[in-house]
Amino acid sequence: MARHDQRVGYGLPAILAIGLHVLVLVVSVISLPSRDADPSSSSIVQATLVSNETVTDQAQRAQEARERAAARQAEEEAKAAEEAERQAAEQAEAERQAQEQRAQAEAERQAAQREREVARQQAEEEAQRRAEEAEQQANRRAEEAERQRQAELERQRQEEERRQAEAERQRQEEEARRQAEAERQRQEEEARRQAEAERQRQEEEARRQAEAERQRQEEEARRQAEAERQRQEEEARRQAEAERQRQEEEARRQEAARRAAEAASQSLDEAIAGEASAVANAQQGQEAANGFINLVRRAVEQSWAIPAGSNQGVVATITVRLGPSGELLGASVSQSSGDSAFDQSALQAVQRAEPFTELMRLPASTQREFRQFNLRFQPGDVR
Amino acid sequence: MNDSMSIPHLIMNASAVVQLVMLILTVGSVLSWIVIFQRSFVIRRARRAHQNFEERFWSGIDLNELYRETPSEQETVGAEQVFRAGFREFNRLLPKTRSPQSILDGVQRSMRVAWSREEERLTLHLVFLATVASASPYIGLFGTVWGIMGSFQSLSMAQQATLSTVAPWIAEALIATAMGLFAAIPAVIFYNRLSSESSKLLGKYEDFAEEFHSILHRNLQGRGDSSGAA
Repeated sequence: MARHDQRVGYGLPAILAIGLHVLVLVVSVISLPSRDADPSSSSIVQATLVSNETVTDQAQRAQEARERAAARQAEEEAKAAEEAERQAAEQAEAERQAQEQRAQAEAERQAAQREREVARQQAEEEAQRRAEEAEQQANRRAEEAERQRQAELERQRQEEERRQAEAERQRQEEEARRQAEAERQRQEEEARRQAEAERQRQEEEARRQAEAERQRQEEEARRQAEAERQRQEEEARRQAEAERQRQEEEARRQEAARRAAEAASQSLDEAIAGEASAVANAQQGQEAANGFINLVRRAVEQSWAIPAGSNQGVVATITVRLGPSGELLGASVSQSSGDSAFDQSALQAVQRAEPFTELMRLPASTQREFRQFNLRFQPGDVR
Repeated sequence: MNDSMSIPHLIMNASAVVQLVMLILTVGSVLSWIVIFQRSFVIRRARRAHQNFEERFWSGIDLNELYRETPSEQETVGAEQVFRAGFREFNRLLPKTRSPQSILDGVQRSMRVAWSREEERLTLHLVFLATVASASPYIGLFGTVWGIMGSFQSLSMAQQATLSTVAPWIAEALIATAMGLFAAIPAVIFYNRLSSESSKLLGKYEDFAEEFHSILHRNLQGRGDSSGAA
């Protein structure tokens, strides 16, 4: 039976061979990409760019920020105490409040604007007061004139009376001389009557004068009270304005202190936790700054050729100074790695990557921070 | 990166010459594998057939019976074929001549012809394997050289010589060498193995032919004596 299949055809071998090739092809297509992925991911580690400032810079800046924040806090506290004191005093006495307010206004250095406001208000008030005073004076002058006229009249009347009395006396004397008893009686009577009338008139006059005086005084007092009230109102308004300005100022200062504290340390950040918008702004700035740093790092990494034979552990720090449009003003080795070729390669990498035009896209406040920063060069673990 | 550097992508983007080289190498590889499988089957069956035949031959069976049992010429292989050729020639010559020497000469000649036919049958296409084994590395190398020439030409046109401009060319060029080696290595291995197997089998056939010859010689000696006596 084995006789008949002694000859071997080519069909089965052909199928086997083609199947083998297809298998090899499939295996290479499926498994090779995953095998390629490993070397590609691990081979291009070149540069690590750690931070935009040196440790000493950070420490200094943190220290400064902390000091600033502390000073500002102390200032604020002092001011708050002052404020409380002042408010107490304000409730007690308006005059002293004004003085204190003035004193505080003088004491506050930063409030040039507010001082101007106060000055303007004072001028306004002064003008008002002057106008009032002028009015008052005019009134007073009119009153005075009235009084003088009245006094004149009075005097005239008195003089007249005196003259009359003299004439009367002369006539009385004459009559007395002429008439003895009747005259004397009549004179006495007359004198009595006149004295009575005189007394009555004088009393009346005095009463009227007193009345007028009182009225005038009352008027004066009322006007003064009115003026005082107006002035007080003005003062209160100005004070409220000043208070509002001061509070705004304080809020602004708090925000600034908060940002500084945030940069400086976490504890201060908690201490001055507050406005969400400020935080959001700060975060946005931070993000933009990070993006910028990443871009710079990538550009520098791409243009960095690590010199052959450089050690794995060497680290060089390059200080980079940028112009306003991102052009390189200067790059210097701030911390040498000890390998001059390595330092030189890092410098050249920065110079080659030069126009960092991304700087212009940063917000203006953060731009200034990145005019100067440090780059750390360290050959990565190239496997 | 994985996508642009994958092997099918590289093959598709290669230049025409390199693609032609790759095609030749692929065809050579497929053909060599066809030969490898076919030869392996053929040699395995020939070995088995030889074993069966030897068992029957040495089992003490009558040679005329054995000759009658074996099938026709086209279906026999190996030692069986040698035996058939020799025994047929012996039977034809036996009535025509009385000289044992001339009978043995004729038998030996026909057995040598049968043996050489078997040799040709066993080593069929092994030369093709040898050709693939020796030529495909050179063909692949040619593709590689051509591809690297192309990469340097593109390098001369580029402004900056970065690794990324040269890498695809070199990769596709090296694929040609890889394919040449892929075709050549199995061809070399199986050529050696198959040729040694076939030469071993041919040695066995030769041994069998000698033994059969000695048997016939022994028979003729007895017959020559008897006929001489008669």
